[in-house]
Amino acid sequence: MNHDPAITRRTFLRTSGAGACALCAARAAAQDVPGDAPADAKPRIVVRDAMWYERLPDKAVRCLLCPRECVVAEVERGYCGVRENQAGQYKTLVYGTLCSVNMDPIEKKPLYHYLPTTPALSVATAGCNMECKFCQNWRISQYRPEQVDSLVVPPENLVRVARNRGAPTMAFTYSEPVVFYEYMHDAAAEGRKNGVGSVMISNGYIREDPMRELCKHLTGVKVDLKAFTETFYVDQCSAHLEPVLKTLEVLADVGMHTEIVVLLIPTLNDSMGEIRQMATWIVKHMGPDVPLHFSRFHPTYRVKNLPPTPVATLDRARKTAMDAGLRFVYVGNVPLHEGGHTYCPGCGKVVIRRVGYRTDTSNLKDGTCRSCGRKIPGVWSQEQALAFTVPEGKGPKTGPAAGEASL
Amino acid sequence: MSQDVNNTVSRRRFLRRAAASSVAFAGLPLASCAKAEPEPAAPSAPAPPAGDPARSRVVVIRHEALAPGDGRPTAARVAEFLNEAAKALAGAERPGDAWARWFKPDDRVAVKVNGLGLPTGPAVAEGLVLALGGMDLPPQNAILWDRTNRELARAGYTLQTRGRGVRCFGTDALGGRGNGGYSADVYSSGATGSLISRIVTDEATALVSAAVLKDHNLAGLTGVMKNFFGAIHNPNKYHENNCSPFIADVVAQKPIRSRLRLALVDATRPQYQGGPAPRPTWQWAYGGLIVSTDPVAADAVGRAILSRKRAAVGMKPFEADGRPVRYLASGEERGLGTADLARIEVVGIGKPWLDIS
Repeated sequence: MNHDPAITRRTFLRTSGAGACALCAARAAAQDVPGDAPADAKPRIVVRDAMWYERLPDKAVRCLLCPRECVVAEVERGYCGVRENQAGQYKTLVYGTLCSVNMDPIEKKPLYHYLPTTPALSVATAGCNMECKFCQNWRISQYRPEQVDSLVVPPENLVRVARNRGAPTMAFTYSEPVVFYEYMHDAAAEGRKNGVGSVMISNGYIREDPMRELCKHLTGVKVDLKAFTETFYVDQCSAHLEPVLKTLEVLADVGMHTEIVVLLIPTLNDSMGEIRQMATWIVKHMGPDVPLHFSRFHPTYRVKNLPPTPVATLDRARKTAMDAGLRFVYVGNVPLHEGGHTYCPGCGKVVIRRVGYRTDTSNLKDGTCRSCGRKIPGVWSQEQALAFTVPEGKGPKTGPAAGEASL
Repeated sequence: MSQDVNNTVSRRRFLRRAAASSVAFAGLPLASCAKAEPEPAAPSAPAPPAGDPARSRVVVIRHEALAPGDGRPTAARVAEFLNEAAKALAGAERPGDAWARWFKPDDRVAVKVNGLGLPTGPAVAEGLVLALGGMDLPPQNAILWDRTNRELARAGYTLQTRGRGVRCFGTDALGGRGNGGYSADVYSSGATGSLISRIVTDEATALVSAAVLKDHNLAGLTGVMKNFFGAIHNPNKYHENNCSPFIADVVAQKPIRSRLRLALVDATRPQYQGGPAPRPTWQWAYGGLIVSTDPVAADAVGRAILSRKRAAVGMKPFEADGRPVRYLASGEERGLGTADLARIEVVGIGKPWLDIS
């Protein structure tokens, strides 16, 4: 592939100046949106019926939301820490209790083939169904709802804020949206009715039927594929690889716009053999057009003994994945890297140029390369995003819960 | 914070109770304590056993006054029994000498109770503080605590964060210091990595695990060791594999292990099935308190009691019910204590400790 020449000084100044304006606009737009730590934020719990569980004897329940299938006794919580058995009924404690609310560029998710240059109203609650030792957001993902400050934002309010602030998308992100499934589900459904799309930024650790049900309301998904070995998932994330691969297959099956991110951690998941296997699997099961992002690791949480990922490793990973057949492979968390642009697979020209969170789409015309006319896969308009539907027969096979919880 | 001022343990009430308790120290008949009706005297501790230094010692003291027909024992009675247990455990002649083996008068003693589901009886925790008053521990140097004020209040504890009396509050009451009341740093131990309650890291110089003896649907048993799941911010992460080795790893966290002085188990009305939520159907009046400096041994004895009861009513052993109490072996491997009953010296006071009738 012929990569675009290096970014010139003039290009950099132009794009970064525009980027600053965009950030200012986003910040201004977010002024009436609850921020990360607003003055009236405090620990809050909002109890609602959970979806996807079954009742067991002695008032126990089995959660059917994620592959852990936690058996939870009365008064106890599941692994996620945000779902609790109250008198034999499974409840979510985080329905709308948002501990993070920000207006982010969609590129920050990262979603590179989804409405570039647009803002996404990005929200999270406490909790996660994994425990990644390298989690960048562990201060919320590994906390319980009563341990973080939050605000209560009902789904309809969230949608209204997105509309009022000109955000075409709500992003459920930062911690792990699977664990606040009920809120995401309802907000995404409400968004659809009001012309606002929804993307889930997730570890993909969710059972098949809840995922298929959610796809009815989402317009895009990013999955963190932590590695391509079971050992890594068990040792570093207290989870398993296979269910994540199953989620990716489901997303491909329903035709959901999906991008994949891999955080490359030195010595743990950065062997080129593993990356080749991963890329080959993606090509085979999802197709060559799925965007794959290799992201740079920085020491944090419980992995502080390893250095940041060398840029050379990211370069090799990108080349390895492209050699395996993937057409859109990116390098993330490395400013000004040429691997941050989108190149046309037909002519090799840059069709989307990214400098930080400043994005230039002037070479993309109606979803095609302006130079050669080749169609670039992705979601390039809100109409296209909202037109997505789960094909007939590809929805969930079971209902959301054995109990009273209902959609 | 909600607070029932009328029910707090005031300095005056504390001193009155402590004075009553000190009567017992003097060796006077327990019946001399002012009571509306005479109560049976606590059994005296047997002469301190010679003791095998290779063995862990656990004292099980039983008396019908610990599970009276009308419900729960009083804190004053609990203090009397704990004084006897302490003497037996330490091999001391006087309770004050026994407590002084493990605590200093200027210690800040944080008593971790279990407020989730079937709770540690407030009278048991308060009784311990009364007993410690016998070695001149000021009441304000004692904290009764668990994760949240809400759980403590639900369990019948009276919240108190100020004043000169015994303090009682949840970790969340320290949320103003940031991190929801937990340490700023992650403490790692074995398979676990957690923030630890600031009550442990910032407030306490000595810890007591004041647990309740009850069945647990995953660990098999909730006792002294699992009680410390309430000291970390992320206990939900550590329930797999019957909570093992996680329970042991949490107790081995340096801030906990280095402060843990005493294990106390409220076995007044244990629960042998259906835990951790309270299930009166499966509780019985055992009328016991378990005291040790060895948390593993204390839980091993607790397991034996629950196992004996389960067998007596025709229930499957924990192992056959899919929840072997694995964490005891993990605890021994980490040097926290002794898991094998054959190597534990159980000192019974009162009714035989394995008589579950």
